[in-house]
Amino acid sequence: MNPVINGIPVHYLLGLAGILFSIGVLGVLIRRNIVIIFMSVELILNSVNLVFVTFSKALSHINGETIVFFVMAIAAAEAAVGLALVIAIFRHKKSTNVDELQSMKW
Amino acid sequence: MDEIIYMNLETSPSLLLFVFFGTVTVITALSVIFQKNPVVSAVSLVFTFFSLAGIYGIMGALFIATMQVLVYAGAIMVLVVFVLMLLSQRAETMSRYRKHPIRLVLLTVFVIGFFFLLYSALTTGVPHSEQMGKGYENAEYSFPIQGTATVNAKGNVATVGASTYLDYLLPFEMISILLLVAVLGAVILAKKKLTEIDQTKDTVL
Repeated sequence: MNPVINGIPVHYLLGLAGILFSIGVLGVLIRRNIVIIFMSVELILNSVNLVFVTFSKALSHINGETIVFFVMAIAAAEAAVGLALVIAIFRHKKSTNVDELQSMKW
Repeated sequence: MDEIIYMNLETSPSLLLFVFFGTVTVITALSVIFQKNPVVSAVSLVFTFFSLAGIYGIMGALFIATMQVLVYAGAIMVLVVFVLMLLSQRAETMSRYRKHPIRLVLLTVFVIGFFFLLYSALTTGVPHSEQMGKGYENAEYSFPIQGTATVNAKGNVATVGASTYLDYLLPFEMISILLLVAVLGAVILAKKKLTEIDQTKDTVL
């Protein structure tokens, strides 16, 4: 395993990815706007992509970068379906606040 | 391993660029979740995606950097901003957490602890970290073609392409079916029912 990629230590890249993931989790937890929760999920996916690219470079193995391509395609599909759901819910409830979407609350 | 890392921490331009892009990434990501106006959050997210593309470029993953700009900063953000404009957002209040600052502090402490767990798991849990990857080099991938000897794909983009179409051909085709299904599902979810058109003609959407 190569501990330095192009002069950047692997620890720094993993730390940046961890910070991004934690910011995404914090955004999902504290925000009530459904579109911003959606953007936080995009942040989480991006941090996972960063980890994949880092290990791909550190282990000299190209498969990580190939999988990042698939993650991006799935994120695009998720964006299409998720935003269509947001529009359908907004038309029904006239709100994007997740606190008011509790008709499935048990 | 630590000695090697600290030896290399001279003023290399790529490290300085990484520090710059990393700082921009963290600041704009924090701005995404703490801005009140969702449109400002979306613009901050665009900056996060661009600086991540810069980091991928420094690491030499040029294909991923290009895809980051095209797919994330281009396509997905256009979709998000389009939906934001369609929804007529009010500036959201975070009053629930302003009223209970203890809850916000507890959540933040939980997330910081979560970060350290994640970081230690990432740095210690690398499988087979001592051996190099088999069959691939960083910018070179050799593959057999019928009737000839093996051919080398050189450069990042060619390597990723060869790996996608030789080793991951079935997942690639499945991704195309998934995208088709997602687009059909999005159209079905977002369209109005035919019987509702007369009743909702005067509403916003």
